Amino acid sequence: MENYINTVIKPKLQGDGGEIDYVSYENSVLTVLLQGECSKCLIVERCLDWIAYEIKRDLGVEISVKAIRKKPYFWDK
Amino acid sequence: MAHIKVVRRSMRPEEWTDLRFGWLKRYIYGEKFEIENIRVRNARQTAEMEYEYYPEGWQPLKRGDMYFTPDGTAFFEADVVIPEKLKGKELWFSLKTAAEIIVKVNGVYVGGVDPNRDRILLTPYIGDESVLHFEMEGYNRSKPDDERNPESLSVRGCRQIFEGAYLAVINHTVLDLVYDIELLLDIAKSDLFNEDYRAFLNRELDRALNLIDFDNVTNEDAAATKKYVDDVIYANTDYKGSGDVALVAHSHLDLAYYWRRIHTVQKNLRTVLIQLRLMDRYPEFKYTHTQAYTYETLEKYYPEVFAELKLRIAEGRFEPVGAMYVEPDCNIPSAESLIRQCLYGQHYFRRKFGITVNNCWLPDVFGNSWILPQILKKSGVDYFVSNKMSTWNDTNRFPHNNFIWRGIDGSEVLACVPPTHFITWNMPSQIQENWEAYQDKNTGGQTLSMFGYGDGGSGCTEEMLEMMRRFEKLSIMPKTEHTSGAGFLEKNLKDNASLQKWDGELYLEMHRGTFTTKCEMKKYNRRLEFKLREAEIISTLRHLKGAEYPYEEIRDCYKKLLLNQFHDILPGSHITPVYRDAMADYEEVDRRLDKIIGTGEKYFNSLNFTRSHLTFIEDENGKSLRFGKRGNWVIPNIPALSSAEISWRTFAGDWCEIADVVTTPFYKIKFNYDGSIESLYDRELDREWTKGEFNKLKLYKDNPGVYDAWDILPNYKDREVEVKIISPLKTVEKNSEVASFEVVLGTEKSTWKRIIHVFRQSRGIEVENIVDWNEKHVLAKAEFDCNVLTRKAVCDTSAGFIERETHRNTSWQQARFEVCHHKWCDMAETDGGIALINDCKYGVSLEENKMSLSLLRATIRPDVTSDLGHHEFAYMIMPHKGDFVSAEINNIAFEYNVPLCKADLTCENSFGELYMQTMKMSEDGSMIVIRLSEQDGKRGSIKLGGKVKILNMLEDVTGESETLEYSPFEILTIGIPAD
Repeated sequence: MENYINTVIKPKLQGDGGEIDYVSYENSVLTVLLQGECSKCLIVERCLDWIAYEIKRDLGVEISVKAIRKKPYFWDK
Repeated sequence: MAHIKVVRRSMRPEEWTDLRFGWLKRYIYGEKFEIENIRVRNARQTAEMEYEYYPEGWQPLKRGDMYFTPDGTAFFEADVVIPEKLKGKELWFSLKTAAEIIVKVNGVYVGGVDPNRDRILLTPYIGDESVLHFEMEGYNRSKPDDERNPESLSVRGCRQIFEGAYLAVINHTVLDLVYDIELLLDIAKSDLFNEDYRAFLNRELDRALNLIDFDNVTNEDAAATKKYVDDVIYANTDYKGSGDVALVAHSHLDLAYYWRRIHTVQKNLRTVLIQLRLMDRYPEFKYTHTQAYTYETLEKYYPEVFAELKLRIAEGRFEPVGAMYVEPDCNIPSAESLIRQCLYGQHYFRRKFGITVNNCWLPDVFGNSWILPQILKKSGVDYFVSNKMSTWNDTNRFPHNNFIWRGIDGSEVLACVPPTHFITWNMPSQIQENWEAYQDKNTGGQTLSMFGYGDGGSGCTEEMLEMMRRFEKLSIMPKTEHTSGAGFLEKNLKDNASLQKWDGELYLEMHRGTFTTKCEMKKYNRRLEFKLREAEIISTLRHLKGAEYPYEEIRDCYKKLLLNQFHDILPGSHITPVYRDAMADYEEVDRRLDKIIGTGEKYFNSLNFTRSHLTFIEDENGKSLRFGKRGNWVIPNIPALSSAEISWRTFAGDWCEIADVVTTPFYKIKFNYDGSIESLYDRELDREWTKGEFNKLKLYKDNPGVYDAWDILPNYKDREVEVKIISPLKTVEKNSEVASFEVVLGTEKSTWKRIIHVFRQSRGIEVENIVDWNEKHVLAKAEFDCNVLTRKAVCDTSAGFIERETHRNTSWQQARFEVCHHKWCDMAETDGGIALINDCKYGVSLEENKMSLSLLRATIRPDVTSDLGHHEFAYMIMPHKGDFVSAEINNIAFEYNVPLCKADLTCENSFGELYMQTMKMSEDGSMIVIRLSEQDGKRGSIKLGGKVKILNMLEDVTGESETLEYSPFEILTIGIPAD
C-alpha cells in the first residue's frame, strides 16, 4: 500500500501541486498526510474517493481513505 | 450594556441592480440542446504529446458525473446530429468547465473553453454539415489559469463535476445588454470614477432595468432597456474623464509553474487558437504573443494552426513580441545565455516570419540585470517592457513608466514599466487605475495597459473586446486606443526627447529568495553555461583542423538550457515535477556536452588568459581530497587557449604550522571550533581581516508567507536557529600544498560538514560544504564581518561589475537587503579587501562591513520538497591587496568556475585584454564568431593581424576593422571567415 501511494498516487498529486504521504493502513483504513495544494483543497473528498477507487482497481482491496491535512501557516488565517 | 452593531439589512439600490443583472444573464442563451452521447477517456500526460491511458478506456460522460483525475488529461468525443430547430441558426457550443479544453469539430480546431470562457462559435467552421463530430482534449489543473479571476478560484480541484455540454443559440439582444450593464456596473462600483457620475449610473441603471419584467423577459423589453442605456447613459457627456491609454492584448504564458512544460504545448495551442478565433469575429482585434519556443512547439505539433497564425502575423494582427527564445529570469543567467535567448529567438522569428522583433517583452520577470540594455541593443531590440517593478515593489515606487533605461556600458533602450499588472480583463476601472498610477503623464505619451488572462495562457475574451467597443461611448473614461505592442512603443517612446532616464539595474523589491531557492538548479545552470562555452570553443578549434562542427547538437543543448532559464524554472518557483524535468534536462545536456568535448592527452585551458591560480585537478592517485574525490592542487600555468601536460612536484618544506594558530605563508589563522574564523591575520599585508563573526554559518527562520519560494523578508534575522557543533574542527589533511580542517555542524534535522582548505601557493581559503538538509523554512547563510571600511561593495554581473551601497541611509538601500551577484562579490578599502568567490551561489546581503552569502533555503510552496536532500558546494575567501581589478579577482573567479578538461588544441590569438565569452561557428556556418567582453571598466584597443568582420549579437555583419576599440563593459562580437 505504501509503495502504491509513493509510486502511483504521489506523482499524480504532485503534478497538481499537491503532496501525499503514506501514514498507516489498518483495518481497511488508509491514512495519508496531505500537503501543498491538497492541504487546502475545498473538494479533496472527491480525490480521496478516487484514491480508494484506484486502489480497488489496481490492488483489489476495498478501503476507505482518511486524510490528515497539513496546511501551511500562511494559508491558515 | 451589550453593544449591538447596526447592520443594514434592506437591499441597496445597487444590490437590486446586481441581482437583476444576474437574472438577465440567464437569458443569454435563446435555445439549448444537450449533447448526451459524450464519451471520455482519462489519461495522464507523460511527455510532449504522449499519454498513458487509464484502463477503463472510453466511458460515457453524463451531466453530474465526476470527470478529470489528478494531473490528468481527458479526451472526449461525441457525435451530434444538429436538431431541426437549430438548423440555419448561428450555432454555438457551450461547456462550463474548470478545465482547459481544446475543441475540434469535424476535424477543424474551433476554439477552447476554460474557466474564463464557456462557449465557442461553430457556424463558420462547420459548413453545411448536419452531423458534428466533436474531439476534445482537456486538462484540469488545481491552479486554474488565473488566480485573479475570482470565478476561477471557486472551481479549483482535481476532480470536477461535469455540468453538461450543449449546442446553443445566443440571444444577441440580451447579450448586448449584458455587456452594456457589465461595463456600467464596473464604473458604478469603482471609487476611481467621479462620485456624481457613479450616482447618476446607479440611478439610471435602476431605471433601465425597471423596463424588464423579470417574470417574463422578452426581447422587446431587453431592446427597450438597451435603448434607454443608449439614449440616457451613453448619450450623457456631462462628466469628463482624462487620460490616454493604449490597450495591448496579451496573454502571459508560464512555460512551467504549477504545470510541467509538456502541458504548455496544449496551453499554448489553446491560447493561440482562442485569439485566432476572436480575430475571425473582431476585425479590429490585435494580439501580442511572446517566446519563440511557444511558436516552435505549435509549428511542430499543430502545423494547421501554425499556418493560420502565420497568415495573421502577415496581416499584422497576431504580433510576435519579445525577441527572446523564452521569457528568462534576468538575474541569474549569464550574459552569454541572455545573448543566446535573443540569438535563437530572433533567428526563429526571421526564419519563420521574416521579422526581427524590435522589443523585449518580459512582463513577469523578477528584476532585470544592468547588462541587458547592451545585449538588447546589439540584438536588434530598441524597446524593453517589464511590469513587475511598478506593481510588486514592496518598498519604493519605481519612479518611471515610460523612460530610457541606460545599461552598464552606457547603451540605452527605450523602456516601459507599465503602471499596472500584465493580467487585466480590460474593465474601465482597471484602465482608469492604470492612468491614475501612470507617472509620466507629461513626458511619456500614452500609458500601456495590457489585457488578457494569463499565467497559464488563455488570453482575451469576447467580453474584453465587447467592452473595448463601448469605451468611446463613455465620456468619463480616459481616451483609449487598441494597438499593437510595437505600435505603442514606437508611437510613444521613439524620438521622445522628454523621456527621463534610469541608469542602473531594474531591481525588483520582491522575490529576493529566488536567487537561492532550489540551489541544485543554480549549480547545474552555472556549470553548464561554462561547459557549453567550452564545448563550442573546442568544437570550433577542432573544426579548424577539419572536424565536423556539431551545429544541431550544440544548438539543442543550448536551447534546453535556455528553456530551463524560464522565470519560474531557474528561480525555483514551481512544483516538484517541474524540478524533476529540469534536472533531467540538465543531466542530459551534461552527458551530451561530455560527448562533444571528448578527451585528449593534455589539459586544455579554454580561458583566454594563462591559468596562473591554484586549481584542483582530479586524479585517482592524487594526494588531496575535494568533495570526496582524489586529486592535486596545482598551478597549471597553461597559456590561453592552449594545451599542456601538468606534472605535480612535491614541495619538501614545512609550509604550514598547525597549532592554536594555523600559520601559512600568507596568514596566521585562529579558527573557532565551529569552523568560523576568529582572526585572519595577513602576514603579507600586515593586517587583520576579521571584525566579528567571519565564515560563520548562520541559520535563520525564513517565513516569507504565501510567496514562500519567491521571497525573503527584511526581518529574516529576527529569529535564529541554533547550529550545534556535532564534531568540532579538526585537522584532516596536510600535504605539500594544502592543509584541511573539518567540522560537522547540525541541527536536529540536518548535518552540515565544512572542510576548510588553506594553501601553500594561494591566498584563497576554500570552504567545502557537504550538507544533508532536512529543514523547513530555514535560510542558511555564511557571514563575514570584514575588517574593511567601505560604503560600497562590488558584485560580478557576468559581464562587468556593479557597485552596491552598503549603508542603509534611504529606503532604496534598505530595500536592497538581498541582491543578486554572479561569481564573486568584494568589499575593499583602497589598499586591500576581501572577495568571496562562489561556485554556484547568487544571493548575497551586503551591509556595512558584512558580506552574507545565501547558501540554502527550505521553502514549501509551490514545492514542499524544495531543496531537501544532499548538497555540495564551495566558496573561496580571497583577501587581496589593492582593488579587485589589480588583484585579478575576476580571472581567479573564472578559474575557480571553469574546470580544466582534456583536449589537445591550441589557438594562436587569445585577445587577452578582454574575456572571451564565446568562440563558435556562426549559425550559418560561414564565420568563426568570437565574443569579447570588457569586464573591468577599462577602455582600450586591440590590434588585429588583419581585417575582421564586426558583428552584432545576431551575427549580422555591421562593419569591418583591423583594430578593436573597446570601452568599459562593452561586449564585442567579431567574425572571421571560416575559410
